Amino acid sequence: MKNFREVAAGKKSLKKDYVAVMMWFMGRAIQAAAAVDMAAKKEFAGMPDGFTFALSVMPNGPHMIIGKDQRGFVRYKGWDPDGNKIDLDMKIKNIEAALLLFTFQESTTLATARNRLVVDGDVAHACAVMRILDIVEVYLLPKIIAKLAVKRYSGWSFRRKYLGRVLVYVRSIFSF
Amino acid sequence: MYLPERYEFFCPVKINSGNRALEHVPFELDALNARKPLVVAGKDVGERGLVGVIIDAFKDSGLAIGVYDGVPSAPDLKLIRELFNIYRDRGHDALIAIGGGSAADTAKVLNIAVSGKPEDIEGCAGENLIKKPLKPLIIVPTTAGTGYEVSKYAFFAGRDYASHFLMPNLAVIDPRMTIPEDAVTTAAAALFALTHAAEAYTCPGKNPLADAYAYTAIQLIMANLVNVIGDQRDKNGRLSLANAHAMAGCAFSNVALGVAHKLGKVMGDLCHLPQGLCMGMLLPRVLEREMSEGGYHIADLLLPLAGFDTYASTAADMKARRAVEIIHDLLKDLSAANGGAISRIWKDIQVSEDTLQDIAQRAGVNEASFDIDGCAKILREAREGR
Repeated sequence: MKNFREVAAGKKSLKKDYVAVMMWFMGRAIQAAAAVDMAAKKEFAGMPDGFTFALSVMPNGPHMIIGKDQRGFVRYKGWDPDGNKIDLDMKIKNIEAALLLFTFQESTTLATARNRLVVDGDVAHACAVMRILDIVEVYLLPKIIAKLAVKRYSGWSFRRKYLGRVLVYVRSIFSF
Repeated sequence: MYLPERYEFFCPVKINSGNRALEHVPFELDALNARKPLVVAGKDVGERGLVGVIIDAFKDSGLAIGVYDGVPSAPDLKLIRELFNIYRDRGHDALIAIGGGSAADTAKVLNIAVSGKPEDIEGCAGENLIKKPLKPLIIVPTTAGTGYEVSKYAFFAGRDYASHFLMPNLAVIDPRMTIPEDAVTTAAAALFALTHAAEAYTCPGKNPLADAYAYTAIQLIMANLVNVIGDQRDKNGRLSLANAHAMAGCAFSNVALGVAHKLGKVMGDLCHLPQGLCMGMLLPRVLEREMSEGGYHIADLLLPLAGFDTYASTAADMKARRAVEIIHDLLKDLSAANGGAISRIWKDIQVSEDTLQDIAQRAGVNEASFDIDGCAKILREAREGR
Protein backbone atom coordinates (compact mmCIF):
# COMPACT_ATOMS: atom_id res chain seq x y z
CA MET A 1 0.00 0.00 0.00
CA LYS A 2 1.27 3.45 -0.90
CA ASN A 3 2.25 5.65 2.04
CA PHE A 4 2.71 2.63 4.33
CA ARG A 5 6.01 1.33 5.64
CA GLU A 6 7.15 -0.79 8.53
CA VAL A 7 9.96 0.66 10.57
CA ALA A 8 12.22 -1.40 12.82
CA ALA A 9 13.25 0.32 16.02
CA GLY A 10 16.64 1.88 15.51
CA LYS A 11 19.35 2.39 18.07
CA LYS A 12 20.71 5.35 19.98
CA SER A 13 24.07 3.73 20.62
CA LEU A 14 26.07 6.87 21.28
CA LYS A 15 23.58 8.20 23.84
CA LYS A 16 23.34 4.78 25.46
CA ASP A 17 27.13 4.49 25.68
CA TYR A 18 27.41 7.94 27.24
CA VAL A 19 24.82 7.11 29.89
CA ALA A 20 26.49 3.73 30.53
CA VAL A 21 29.85 5.40 31.17
CA MET A 22 28.25 8.00 33.44
CA MET A 23 26.43 5.29 35.39
CA TRP A 24 29.61 3.25 35.69
CA PHE A 25 31.52 6.17 37.15
CA MET A 26 28.58 7.28 39.30
CA GLY A 27 28.33 3.76 40.74
CA ARG A 28 31.99 3.75 41.73
CA ALA A 29 31.61 7.27 43.14
CA ILE A 30 28.67 6.16 45.29
CA GLN A 31 30.80 3.36 46.67
CA ALA A 32 33.55 5.89 47.39
CA ALA A 33 31.21 8.46 48.94
CA ALA A 34 29.74 5.81 51.24
CA ALA A 35 33.22 5.35 52.71
CA VAL A 36 34.22 9.03 52.77
CA ASP A 37 31.15 11.17 53.47
CA MET A 38 29.32 11.11 56.81
CA ALA A 39 25.95 12.11 55.33
CA ALA A 40 26.16 9.36 52.70
CA LYS A 41 27.19 6.85 55.39
CA LYS A 42 24.17 7.88 57.43
CA GLU A 43 21.83 7.39 54.48
CA PHE A 44 23.24 3.90 53.85
CA ALA A 45 23.02 3.10 57.57
CA GLY A 46 19.24 3.43 57.23
CA MET A 47 19.21 0.60 54.67
CA PRO A 48 19.26 -3.01 55.81
CA ASP A 49 22.41 -5.10 55.28
CA GLY A 50 22.21 -7.03 52.02
CA PHE A 51 20.07 -4.29 50.48
CA THR A 52 20.60 -3.83 46.73
CA PHE A 53 19.29 -1.07 44.53
CA ALA A 54 19.50 -0.43 40.80
CA LEU A 55 19.21 2.63 38.60
CA SER A 56 18.23 1.46 35.12
CA VAL A 57 17.17 2.88 31.79
CA MET A 58 14.13 1.25 30.23
CA PRO A 59 13.71 -0.98 28.34
CA ASN A 60 17.16 -2.61 28.08
CA GLY A 61 19.58 -0.67 30.19
CA PRO A 62 22.21 0.48 30.91
CA HIS A 63 21.98 -0.37 34.61
CA MET A 64 23.85 0.62 37.73
CA ILE A 65 23.69 -1.85 40.63
CA ILE A 66 24.72 -0.85 44.14
CA GLY A 67 24.57 -3.19 47.10
CA LYS A 68 25.25 -3.09 50.81
CA ASP A 69 26.85 -6.34 51.90
CA GLN A 70 26.22 -8.25 55.12
CA ARG A 71 29.06 -6.39 56.86
CA GLY A 72 27.53 -3.03 55.95
CA PHE A 73 30.04 -2.11 53.20
CA VAL A 74 28.63 -0.45 50.10
CA ARG A 75 29.75 -1.95 46.80
CA TYR A 76 29.21 -1.00 43.18
CA LYS A 77 28.06 -4.31 41.74
CA GLY A 78 28.39 -3.51 38.04
CA TRP A 79 25.88 -3.03 35.23
CA ASP A 80 24.38 -6.48 34.92
CA PRO A 81 21.22 -6.94 36.97
CA ASP A 82 21.23 -10.72 36.34
CA GLY A 83 22.21 -12.65 39.43
CA ASN A 84 21.39 -9.77 41.74
CA LYS A 85 18.28 -9.67 43.88
CA ILE A 86 17.16 -6.06 43.45
CA ASP A 87 15.26 -4.66 46.44
CA LEU A 88 14.77 -1.21 44.96
CA ASP A 89 14.63 -0.67 41.21
CA MET A 90 14.60 2.92 40.00
CA LYS A 91 13.87 2.92 36.29
CA ILE A 92 14.29 5.88 33.96
CA LYS A 93 11.56 5.57 31.34
CA ASN A 94 13.75 6.03 28.27
CA ILE A 95 17.25 6.88 27.11
CA GLU A 96 16.32 10.51 26.32
CA ALA A 97 15.14 11.04 29.89
CA ALA A 98 18.39 9.45 31.11
CA LEU A 99 20.33 11.79 28.89
CA LEU A 100 18.55 14.84 30.33
CA LEU A 101 19.53 13.54 33.77
CA PHE A 102 23.14 12.69 33.01
CA THR A 103 23.82 15.85 31.03
CA PHE A 104 22.50 17.69 34.09
CA GLN A 105 19.73 19.46 32.20
CA GLU A 106 17.35 18.03 34.77
CA SER A 107 18.04 17.21 38.39
CA THR A 108 16.99 13.85 39.81
CA THR A 109 14.20 15.49 41.79
CA LEU A 110 12.95 17.40 38.75
CA ALA A 111 13.07 14.24 36.64
CA THR A 112 11.03 12.47 39.33
CA ALA A 113 8.56 15.37 39.49
CA ARG A 114 8.21 15.17 35.69
CA ASN A 115 7.39 11.47 35.86
CA ARG A 116 10.51 10.38 34.06
CA LEU A 117 11.31 7.73 36.69
CA VAL A 118 9.45 4.69 37.93
CA VAL A 119 10.24 3.29 41.34
CA ASP A 120 9.72 -0.36 42.22
CA GLY A 121 10.33 -0.71 45.92
CA ASP A 122 10.30 1.24 49.15
CA VAL A 123 9.75 4.97 48.62
CA ALA A 124 11.69 5.97 51.76
CA HIS A 125 14.77 4.10 50.48
CA ALA A 126 14.27 5.68 47.03
CA CYS A 127 14.35 9.12 48.65
CA ALA A 128 17.55 8.16 50.47
CA VAL A 129 19.09 7.11 47.14
CA MET A 130 18.09 10.47 45.66
CA ARG A 131 19.85 12.26 48.50
CA ILE A 132 22.95 10.08 48.04
CA LEU A 133 22.99 10.88 44.31
CA ASP A 134 22.85 14.59 45.16
CA ILE A 135 25.80 14.24 47.55
CA VAL A 136 27.84 12.35 44.95
CA GLU A 137 27.06 14.91 42.25
CA VAL A 138 28.30 17.73 44.49
CA TYR A 139 31.56 15.81 44.93
CA LEU A 140 31.98 15.01 41.26
CA LEU A 141 30.86 18.18 39.53
CA PRO A 142 32.01 21.80 39.61
CA LYS A 143 29.55 24.05 41.44
CA ILE A 144 28.18 25.68 38.28
CA ILE A 145 27.03 22.29 36.92
CA ALA A 146 26.22 20.65 40.25
CA LYS A 147 23.74 23.46 40.99
CA LEU A 148 21.73 22.31 37.98
CA ALA A 149 21.93 18.66 38.95
CA VAL A 150 20.96 18.72 42.62
CA LYS A 151 17.86 19.82 44.45
CA ARG A 152 19.71 22.18 46.79
CA TYR A 153 23.41 23.03 46.63
CA SER A 154 24.55 22.90 50.25
CA GLY A 155 27.23 25.12 51.75
CA TRP A 156 29.76 22.46 52.74
CA SER A 157 32.95 23.16 54.70
CA PHE A 158 36.16 23.51 52.70
CA ARG A 159 37.51 20.29 54.24
CA ARG A 160 34.43 18.26 53.43
CA LYS A 161 34.10 19.58 49.91
CA TYR A 162 37.65 19.58 48.62
CA LEU A 163 39.31 16.86 50.66
CA GLY A 164 36.20 14.74 50.16
CA ARG A 165 36.26 15.42 46.44
CA VAL A 166 39.88 14.26 46.14
CA LEU A 167 39.13 11.12 48.14
CA VAL A 168 35.96 10.34 46.17
CA TYR A 169 37.78 10.79 42.85
CA VAL A 170 40.79 8.70 43.92
CA ARG A 171 38.59 5.94 45.34
CA SER A 172 36.35 6.03 42.25
CA ILE A 173 39.25 5.75 39.83
CA PHE A 174 41.01 2.97 41.74
CA SER A 175 37.77 1.40 42.96
CA PHE A 176 38.38 0.89 46.66
CA MET B 1 -19.03 28.28 42.40
CA TYR B 2 -21.98 26.74 40.61
CA LEU B 3 -22.78 23.18 41.68
CA PRO B 4 -25.65 21.56 39.79
CA GLU B 5 -28.08 19.36 41.64
CA ARG B 6 -26.73 16.41 39.69
CA TYR B 7 -23.95 15.97 37.18
CA GLU B 8 -21.65 13.40 35.59
CA PHE B 9 -18.06 13.86 34.52
CA PHE B 10 -15.88 11.34 32.72
CA CYS B 11 -12.39 11.86 31.38
CA PRO B 12 -10.23 8.74 31.21
CA VAL B 13 -7.66 10.29 28.88
CA LYS B 14 -4.15 10.40 30.27
CA ILE B 15 -2.30 13.48 29.09
CA ASN B 16 1.44 13.41 28.70
CA SER B 17 2.72 16.88 27.90
CA GLY B 18 6.07 18.59 27.60
CA ASN B 19 9.66 18.31 26.49
CA ARG B 20 10.47 14.84 25.07
CA ALA B 21 6.95 13.61 25.86
CA LEU B 22 6.97 11.44 22.73
CA GLU B 23 9.86 9.36 24.03
CA HIS B 24 7.52 8.12 26.78
CA VAL B 25 5.16 6.51 24.26
CA PRO B 26 6.93 3.08 24.21
CA PHE B 27 6.67 2.97 28.02
CA GLU B 28 2.98 3.87 27.86
CA LEU B 29 2.36 1.24 25.18
CA ASP B 30 3.98 -1.34 27.40
CA ALA B 31 1.59 -0.33 30.19
CA LEU B 32 -1.27 -0.84 27.72
CA ASN B 33 0.04 -4.30 26.81
CA ALA B 34 0.79 -3.25 23.25
CA ARG B 35 3.94 -4.13 21.34
CA LYS B 36 3.36 -3.12 17.73
CA PRO B 37 1.49 0.11 17.06
CA LEU B 38 0.23 1.35 13.72
CA VAL B 39 0.88 5.07 13.25
CA VAL B 40 -1.82 6.88 11.26
CA ALA B 41 -0.97 10.37 10.07
CA GLY B 42 -2.27 12.94 7.63
CA LYS B 43 -0.49 13.67 4.34
CA ASP B 44 0.53 17.08 5.62
CA VAL B 45 2.14 15.55 8.71
CA GLY B 46 4.27 13.32 6.52
CA GLU B 47 5.22 16.23 4.27
CA ARG B 48 6.25 18.34 7.27
CA GLY B 49 8.60 15.62 8.53
CA LEU B 50 6.76 15.07 11.79
CA VAL B 51 6.55 11.30 11.26
CA GLY B 52 10.34 11.24 11.55
CA VAL B 53 10.05 12.63 15.08
CA ILE B 54 7.80 9.72 16.07
CA ILE B 55 10.12 7.17 14.45
CA ASP B 56 13.04 8.73 16.29
CA ALA B 57 11.14 8.55 19.57
CA PHE B 58 10.81 4.76 19.15
CA LYS B 59 14.56 4.24 18.67
CA ASP B 60 16.05 2.03 21.34
CA SER B 61 12.59 0.89 22.42
CA GLY B 62 12.87 -2.49 20.74
CA LEU B 63 9.43 -1.96 19.17
CA ALA B 64 8.70 -2.09 15.45
CA ILE B 65 6.04 0.27 14.16
CA GLY B 66 3.92 0.52 11.04
CA VAL B 67 3.55 4.00 9.58
CA TYR B 68 0.79 5.18 7.27
CA ASP B 69 1.12 8.87 6.46
CA GLY B 70 -1.39 9.36 3.68
CA VAL B 71 -4.70 10.18 5.39
CA PRO B 72 -6.40 12.77 3.16
CA SER B 73 -8.49 15.66 4.49
CA ALA B 74 -11.68 13.77 3.54
CA PRO B 75 -10.97 10.07 4.16
CA ASP B 76 -13.44 7.39 3.10
CA LEU B 77 -14.38 3.83 4.06
CA LYS B 78 -12.03 2.38 1.43
CA LEU B 79 -9.12 3.76 3.44
CA ILE B 80 -10.47 2.17 6.62
CA ARG B 81 -10.68 -1.22 4.88
CA GLU B 82 -7.09 -0.90 3.64
CA LEU B 83 -5.81 0.13 7.05
CA PHE B 84 -7.83 -2.65 8.66
CA ASN B 85 -6.07 -5.20 6.43
CA ILE B 86 -2.65 -3.77 7.29
CA TYR B 87 -3.47 -3.80 11.00
CA ARG B 88 -4.67 -7.41 10.92
CA ASP B 89 -2.10 -8.86 8.49
CA ARG B 90 0.93 -7.25 10.09
CA GLY B 91 -0.05 -8.06 13.64
CA HIS B 92 -0.50 -4.57 15.03
CA ASP B 93 -2.09 -4.21 18.44
CA ALA B 94 -2.49 -0.47 19.01
CA LEU B 95 -3.07 2.76 17.09
CA ILE B 96 -1.23 6.05 17.23
CA ALA B 97 -2.81 9.00 15.42
CA ILE B 98 -0.74 12.06 14.64
CA GLY B 99 -2.67 15.27 14.22
CA GLY B 100 -6.21 16.32 14.94
CA GLY B 101 -8.95 16.40 12.35
CA SER B 102 -9.04 13.64 9.79
CA ALA B 103 -6.12 11.57 11.16
CA ALA B 104 -7.66 11.41 14.64
CA ASP B 105 -11.12 10.66 13.23
CA THR B 106 -9.67 7.95 10.97
CA ALA B 107 -7.83 6.35 13.89
CA LYS B 108 -10.95 6.43 16.07
CA VAL B 109 -13.14 4.85 13.41
CA LEU B 110 -10.39 2.38 12.45
CA ASN B 111 -10.27 1.41 16.11
CA ILE B 112 -13.94 0.41 15.94
CA ALA B 113 -13.10 -1.83 12.97
CA VAL B 114 -9.96 -3.45 14.40
CA SER B 115 -11.62 -4.04 17.76
CA GLY B 116 -14.40 -5.95 16.05
CA LYS B 117 -15.02 -6.16 12.33
CA PRO B 118 -15.15 -3.50 9.59
CA GLU B 119 -18.95 -3.81 9.31
CA ASP B 120 -19.25 -2.44 12.87
CA ILE B 121 -18.39 1.02 11.56
CA GLU B 122 -21.85 1.54 10.14
CA GLY B 123 -23.69 0.08 13.12
CA CYS B 124 -21.75 2.17 15.63
CA ALA B 125 -22.52 5.55 14.03
CA GLY B 126 -24.66 7.57 16.41
CA GLU B 127 -24.78 8.23 20.12
CA ASN B 128 -23.38 5.58 22.52
CA LEU B 129 -23.66 2.64 20.16
CA ILE B 130 -20.21 1.25 20.89
CA LYS B 131 -20.69 -1.31 23.62
CA LYS B 132 -17.19 -2.46 24.58
CA PRO B 133 -13.72 -1.01 25.09
CA LEU B 134 -11.60 -0.68 21.97
CA LYS B 135 -7.89 -1.33 21.31
CA PRO B 136 -5.30 1.04 22.79
CA LEU B 137 -5.33 4.41 21.05
CA ILE B 138 -2.80 7.20 21.46
CA ILE B 139 -3.30 10.58 19.85
CA VAL B 140 -0.51 13.08 19.27
CA PRO B 141 -2.04 16.47 18.46
CA THR B 142 -0.28 18.85 16.12
CA THR B 143 -1.05 22.54 15.68
CA ALA B 144 -4.19 21.56 13.82
CA GLY B 145 -5.43 19.71 16.90
CA THR B 146 -8.73 21.12 18.04
CA GLY B 147 -9.55 19.11 21.14
CA TYR B 148 -11.55 16.58 19.16
CA GLU B 149 -8.58 14.30 19.56
CA VAL B 150 -9.27 13.79 23.27
CA SER B 151 -13.04 13.93 22.92
CA LYS B 152 -15.64 11.20 22.65
CA TYR B 153 -16.61 12.38 19.15
CA ALA B 154 -15.55 11.30 15.68
CA PHE B 155 -16.81 12.49 12.32
CA PHE B 156 -16.09 10.25 9.40
CA ALA B 157 -17.46 9.97 5.88
CA GLY B 158 -20.65 11.82 6.74
CA ARG B 159 -21.29 9.83 9.92
CA ASP B 160 -21.21 11.18 13.46
CA TYR B 161 -19.94 8.98 16.28
CA ALA B 162 -20.19 9.74 19.99
CA SER B 163 -19.02 7.27 22.62
CA HIS B 164 -16.73 7.33 25.63
CA PHE B 165 -15.00 4.29 24.17
CA LEU B 166 -13.71 6.51 21.35
CA MET B 167 -11.65 8.59 23.76
CA PRO B 168 -7.96 7.76 23.45
CA ASN B 169 -6.03 6.13 26.28
CA LEU B 170 -3.35 8.77 25.99
CA ALA B 171 -2.83 12.18 24.40
CA VAL B 172 0.80 13.18 23.94
CA ILE B 173 1.50 16.89 23.61
CA ASP B 174 5.08 17.43 22.53
CA PRO B 175 6.33 20.87 21.43
CA ARG B 176 8.19 19.29 18.50
CA MET B 177 4.84 18.25 17.04
CA THR B 178 3.23 21.68 17.37
CA ILE B 179 5.31 23.27 14.65
CA PRO B 180 3.00 25.84 13.06
CA GLU B 181 1.47 25.31 9.65
CA ASP B 182 0.25 28.87 9.15
CA ALA B 183 -1.39 31.60 11.19
CA VAL B 184 -4.86 30.85 9.88
CA THR B 185 -4.73 27.18 10.91
CA THR B 186 -3.34 28.10 14.32
CA ALA B 187 -6.05 30.73 14.87
CA ALA B 188 -8.82 28.44 13.64
CA ALA B 189 -7.75 25.62 15.97
CA ALA B 190 -7.50 27.97 18.95
CA LEU B 191 -10.89 29.60 18.25
CA PHE B 192 -12.37 26.13 17.92
CA ALA B 193 -11.04 25.29 21.38
CA LEU B 194 -12.06 28.68 22.82
CA THR B 195 -15.60 28.14 21.58
CA HIS B 196 -15.76 24.70 23.18
CA ALA B 197 -14.34 25.95 26.45
CA ALA B 198 -16.51 29.09 26.60
CA GLU B 199 -19.68 27.16 25.76
CA ALA B 200 -18.83 24.43 28.28
CA TYR B 201 -18.24 27.15 30.89
CA THR B 202 -21.54 28.92 30.26
CA CYS B 203 -23.94 26.15 29.28
CA PRO B 204 -26.82 25.07 31.56
CA GLY B 205 -25.25 21.60 31.98
CA LYS B 206 -21.95 22.97 33.31
CA ASN B 207 -20.33 21.28 36.28
CA PRO B 208 -17.32 22.09 38.47
CA LEU B 209 -14.98 19.55 36.87
CA ALA B 210 -15.74 20.56 33.29
CA ASP B 211 -15.38 24.16 34.52
CA ALA B 212 -11.85 23.45 35.75
CA TYR B 213 -10.78 22.22 32.30
CA ALA B 214 -12.63 24.99 30.47
CA TYR B 215 -11.31 27.72 32.80
CA THR B 216 -7.68 26.71 32.28
CA ALA B 217 -8.17 26.28 28.54
CA ILE B 218 -9.60 29.81 28.22
CA GLN B 219 -6.78 31.28 30.32
CA LEU B 220 -4.10 29.56 28.23
CA ILE B 221 -5.68 30.67 24.95
CA MET B 222 -6.09 34.28 26.09
CA ALA B 223 -2.52 34.42 27.36
CA ASN B 224 -0.89 32.90 24.28
CA LEU B 225 -2.97 33.05 21.12
CA VAL B 226 -2.14 36.54 19.87
CA ASN B 227 1.56 36.07 20.73
CA VAL B 228 1.73 32.78 18.85
CA ILE B 229 -0.01 34.26 15.81
CA GLY B 230 2.54 37.09 15.89
CA ASP B 231 5.52 34.80 16.47
CA GLN B 232 4.91 31.19 15.54
CA ARG B 233 8.33 30.17 16.85
CA ASP B 234 7.06 30.74 20.39
CA LYS B 235 7.54 27.13 21.58
CA ASN B 236 6.03 27.58 25.04
CA GLY B 237 3.08 29.48 23.57
CA ARG B 238 2.41 26.66 21.11
CA LEU B 239 2.66 24.07 23.86
CA SER B 240 0.21 26.11 25.95
CA LEU B 241 -2.25 26.28 23.07
CA ALA B 242 -1.99 22.54 22.41
CA ASN B 243 -2.71 21.92 26.10
CA ALA B 244 -5.66 24.31 25.94
CA HIS B 245 -7.07 22.40 22.95
CA ALA B 246 -6.90 19.12 24.85
CA MET B 247 -8.48 20.62 27.97
CA ALA B 248 -11.29 22.19 25.96
CA GLY B 249 -11.87 18.80 24.36
CA CYS B 250 -12.20 17.17 27.79
CA ALA B 251 -14.61 19.89 28.91
CA PHE B 252 -16.90 19.76 25.91
CA SER B 253 -17.02 15.96 26.01
CA ASN B 254 -18.88 16.34 29.29
CA VAL B 255 -21.53 18.88 28.35
CA ALA B 256 -23.96 19.30 25.49
CA LEU B 257 -22.61 20.87 22.30
CA GLY B 258 -23.20 24.61 22.16
CA VAL B 259 -24.94 26.77 19.58
CA ALA B 260 -21.77 28.46 18.27
CA HIS B 261 -20.20 25.03 17.80
CA LYS B 262 -23.19 23.65 15.90
CA LEU B 263 -23.67 26.68 13.66
CA GLY B 264 -19.94 27.13 13.07
CA LYS B 265 -19.47 23.50 12.13
CA VAL B 266 -22.25 23.54 9.53
CA MET B 267 -21.16 26.94 8.25
CA GLY B 268 -17.58 25.71 7.84
CA ASP B 269 -18.73 22.63 5.96
CA LEU B 270 -21.14 24.48 3.65
CA CYS B 271 -18.92 27.46 2.96
CA HIS B 272 -15.65 25.43 2.81
CA LEU B 273 -14.06 27.47 5.57
CA PRO B 274 -12.07 26.51 8.67
CA GLN B 275 -14.75 25.59 11.21
CA GLY B 276 -12.80 27.26 14.03
CA LEU B 277 -12.88 30.65 12.27
CA CYS B 278 -16.65 30.33 11.81
CA MET B 279 -17.16 29.34 15.44
CA GLY B 280 -14.95 32.18 16.66
CA MET B 281 -16.90 34.67 14.56
CA LEU B 282 -20.22 33.40 15.92
CA LEU B 283 -19.24 32.94 19.58
CA PRO B 284 -19.66 36.56 20.79
CA ARG B 285 -22.99 36.89 18.95
CA VAL B 286 -24.30 33.68 20.49
CA LEU B 287 -23.19 34.85 23.94
CA GLU B 288 -24.90 38.22 23.39
CA ARG B 289 -28.08 36.43 22.49
CA GLU B 290 -27.83 34.16 25.55
CA MET B 291 -27.12 37.22 27.67
CA SER B 292 -30.32 38.88 26.52
CA GLU B 293 -32.17 35.68 27.42
CA GLY B 294 -30.73 35.74 30.94
CA GLY B 295 -27.69 33.49 30.51
CA TYR B 296 -26.29 34.25 33.93
CA HIS B 297 -23.13 32.11 33.64
CA ILE B 298 -21.71 34.45 31.00
CA ALA B 299 -20.62 36.89 33.69
CA ASP B 300 -18.43 34.12 35.15
CA LEU B 301 -16.61 33.92 31.82
CA LEU B 302 -14.96 37.27 32.53
CA LEU B 303 -12.67 35.73 35.14
CA PRO B 304 -10.77 33.31 32.86
CA LEU B 305 -10.97 35.74 29.94
CA ALA B 306 -9.56 38.80 31.66
CA GLY B 307 -8.12 37.78 35.03
CA PHE B 308 -8.80 38.74 38.62
CA ASP B 309 -8.14 42.49 38.38
CA THR B 310 -10.61 43.13 35.56
CA TYR B 311 -13.15 40.78 37.08
CA ALA B 312 -12.94 42.50 40.46
CA SER B 313 -13.06 46.01 39.03
CA THR B 314 -16.08 45.37 36.81
CA ALA B 315 -19.53 45.99 38.21
CA ALA B 316 -21.61 42.82 38.63
CA ASP B 317 -24.19 43.83 36.04
CA MET B 318 -21.46 44.66 33.51
CA LYS B 319 -19.41 41.49 33.79
CA ALA B 320 -21.24 39.54 31.07
CA ARG B 321 -21.12 42.51 28.66
CA ARG B 322 -17.39 42.97 29.36
CA ALA B 323 -16.72 39.26 28.73
CA VAL B 324 -18.33 39.48 25.29
CA GLU B 325 -16.39 42.67 24.53
CA ILE B 326 -13.13 40.91 25.36
CA ILE B 327 -13.91 38.15 22.86
CA HIS B 328 -14.69 40.83 20.25
CA ASP B 329 -11.35 42.48 21.09
CA LEU B 330 -9.54 39.16 20.73
CA LEU B 331 -11.05 38.68 17.27
CA LYS B 332 -9.99 42.20 16.30
CA ASP B 333 -6.43 41.53 17.54
CA LEU B 334 -6.33 38.31 15.56
CA SER B 335 -7.62 40.10 12.47
CA ALA B 336 -4.87 42.67 12.78
CA ALA B 337 -2.13 40.11 13.46
CA ASN B 338 -0.26 38.33 10.69
CA GLY B 339 -0.80 41.05 8.10
CA GLY B 340 -4.58 40.75 8.17
CA ALA B 341 -4.67 37.20 6.68
CA ILE B 342 -7.47 36.12 9.02
CA SER B 343 -9.36 39.35 8.55
CA ARG B 344 -9.35 38.81 4.77
CA ILE B 345 -10.86 35.33 5.15
CA TRP B 346 -13.64 36.71 7.32
CA LYS B 347 -14.34 39.56 4.91
CA ASP B 348 -14.34 37.25 1.87
CA ILE B 349 -16.95 34.89 3.28
CA GLN B 350 -19.83 34.86 0.83
CA VAL B 351 -22.96 33.67 2.60
CA SER B 352 -26.20 34.25 0.75
CA GLU B 353 -29.52 34.58 2.56
CA ASP B 354 -30.51 31.09 1.37
CA THR B 355 -27.28 29.55 2.66
CA LEU B 356 -27.83 31.33 5.91
CA GLN B 357 -31.25 29.75 6.34
CA ASP B 358 -29.80 26.41 5.27
CA ILE B 359 -27.10 26.60 7.95
CA ALA B 360 -29.65 27.54 10.61
CA GLN B 361 -31.81 24.58 9.62
CA ARG B 362 -29.04 21.99 9.35
CA ALA B 363 -27.35 22.96 12.62
CA GLY B 364 -30.07 21.18 14.57
CA VAL B 365 -30.11 23.71 17.37
CA ASN B 366 -32.85 22.88 19.79
CA GLU B 367 -32.51 25.45 22.56
CA ALA B 368 -35.53 27.56 23.57
CA SER B 369 -33.93 30.86 22.65
CA PHE B 370 -32.43 29.62 19.40
CA ASP B 371 -35.07 28.66 16.88
CA ILE B 372 -34.20 28.66 13.18
CA ASP B 373 -34.99 32.36 12.85
CA GLY B 374 -32.89 33.14 15.91
CA CYS B 375 -29.95 31.21 14.48
CA ALA B 376 -30.37 32.90 11.10
CA LYS B 377 -30.36 36.28 12.86
CA ILE B 378 -27.06 35.46 14.60
CA LEU B 379 -25.51 34.36 11.32
CA ARG B 380 -26.74 37.55 9.66
CA GLU B 381 -25.31 39.70 12.46
CA ALA B 382 -21.99 37.90 12.23
CA ARG B 383 -21.93 38.37 8.45
CA GLU B 384 -22.66 42.06 8.72
CA GLY B 385 -20.55 42.78 11.77
CA ARG B 386 -17.33 41.09 10.69
